[in-house]
Amino acid sequence: MKRPFYWPTFWDALALLLWGLMLLRYWWSGRLAVLLHPDYHWLAIGAGWILVFMAVWRGVALFQLPKKLAAEHIALLPRRWSLTVLLAIAVFGLIYVPRPFASEAALARGIAEPVRVTRSQPQRFARNTPPAERSLIDWIRTLNVYPEPDAYADEPVNVVGFVIHPPEWDDNYLMVARFVLTCCAADAYPVGLPVELSGDRREFAPDSWIAVQGIMQTETLDGQRRLVIQPDEVVAVDEPENPYEF
Amino acid sequence: MAQLNQGLTLFLSLLVEATPFLLLGVAFSSILAVFIDERQLIAHTPRNPVLAAIAGSLFGCLFPVCECGNVPVARRLITQGAPSALAIGFLLAAPTVNPIVFWATWVAFRDQPAMVFWRVGLTILISVIIACVFSVQKDLRPFLQSAIARYLPSPAPEPAPALSGGGNSLLSKGTFLLQSTGTVKLDQPLMATVGAAALPTLSWQTKLQAVLEMMLQEFRELGAVLVMGSAIAATVQVAIPREWILALGQGPITSILAMMLLAWVVSICSTVDSFFALSFSSVFTSGSILAFLVFGPMIDLKNISLLLTTFKARAVVYLFVLAAQLTFVFTLAVNLYTSW
Repeated sequence: MKRPFYWPTFWDALALLLWGLMLLRYWWSGRLAVLLHPDYHWLAIGAGWILVFMAVWRGVALFQLPKKLAAEHIALLPRRWSLTVLLAIAVFGLIYVPRPFASEAALARGIAEPVRVTRSQPQRFARNTPPAERSLIDWIRTLNVYPEPDAYADEPVNVVGFVIHPPEWDDNYLMVARFVLTCCAADAYPVGLPVELSGDRREFAPDSWIAVQGIMQTETLDGQRRLVIQPDEVVAVDEPENPYEF
Repeated sequence: MAQLNQGLTLFLSLLVEATPFLLLGVAFSSILAVFIDERQLIAHTPRNPVLAAIAGSLFGCLFPVCECGNVPVARRLITQGAPSALAIGFLLAAPTVNPIVFWATWVAFRDQPAMVFWRVGLTILISVIIACVFSVQKDLRPFLQSAIARYLPSPAPEPAPALSGGGNSLLSKGTFLLQSTGTVKLDQPLMATVGAAALPTLSWQTKLQAVLEMMLQEFRELGAVLVMGSAIAATVQVAIPREWILALGQGPITSILAMMLLAWVVSICSTVDSFFALSFSSVFTSGSILAFLVFGPMIDLKNISLLLTTFKARAVVYLFVLAAQLTFVFTLAVNLYTSW
């Protein structure tokens, strides 16, 4: 006797498999870093494997004796409806390539202020890090501890970030910025430092990545005394594998 | 276009971050359903509303689930005939009062260990108060979605363990596991049947099968809800400029309101929300950070949709209003009367 094919079981298995693969795909393709802090990657990867395992278990049921595949299940949401949502999102997640936040998001979240929201525990980022080795977030944290710009004048700078063109600044100023993650992209906040170029900032398109080497100067920008990078060299670089800082 | 990308990245990030915890939650709740006889647990909890509420708030230490996972457990406690104080206490406190969250908060606020104790203490206090309020309502059924309420026993002087006394099992709807040893009902409350009625006779393999079956059912349902919640949270985050929320952050009152609003909107999992709160701790008052950590796990945008799978809108509104007011009053007191 030919066994009937159990479509509900098949859809369950497919939904689980696609969800698992969606999580694992972000890991394989290295895009997990765009979504999550590296400390939590193992959670997403583990969840992906568990879902794949559950899909296999469900798939095996398709080929077993049909001893328990009864008709109706009482659910608060209609089963088909939940399955459709899960399947649709998994397919979307498998196709869509998440992109890290860019300059528009940074401007929307308010990066123009020199001292923005940052984590506490500034003592960990004491000034004993040599200036040339400080990343953008190190600079911002250092500034948070001791905000007087003149204290840093003539210190060497060497940072990598993406380009923002703040609309209210002159055409020879741009901002080199990074997003900082504490947990996942939901809590990303931007930090950045102004750069005074010798030429026009249109040479570096918004969202392109640059490495800036130079020295710190104090200038008045937007009516505020701020630390501004006087670059010796600005070069275009590739987007780093992990676009965020922590 | 850039905004759309930002919204989608946020959406996926929330999903990818919450999925492991959702899985952990449904796994715990399924394992408990099959391997632990909650009737025993419920039978040993005090009937006095205050004591039951305290017991419920501390249950989180046994069931380390975040707010994505506590609804299924609370739902099962209710269908097993737990007193309302116990279930509500658990529902509100479990996402915060459990070892995983305690540890995460401790790591995040290493330099402010008081935050951990304030968070846990205040959560227990508020949960117990709300649970006592709800315990006045002896019969929870008017507050529950009808699909859940129909599994509750009629209001009896002694809340009887659900499903033990039968009714006509032939007439009940649901998914059934037909075996040579008898018929086992396979949906949620029916898992209670597995746990309650057939527990001694089931083999390990059958139990494992039942755990996976239940995990699948809960994941299917709550996963779809999580998708909707994350979509709403991502949309609101992109649509409302964050500066508006942050601009409120300095005063003792506005900072608390702002952080509560933020906690509600961002809907971040209680296991990781302390890291998120940490990013605000340098500009926001301590009381407002505390409000974020206490209020967020109790009720947020994502979790409202989960709560609505169990409770009627009216009950969710009561929970929301009570939790919001109590959190506000207590954290305002922290801001005004402590130097911490």
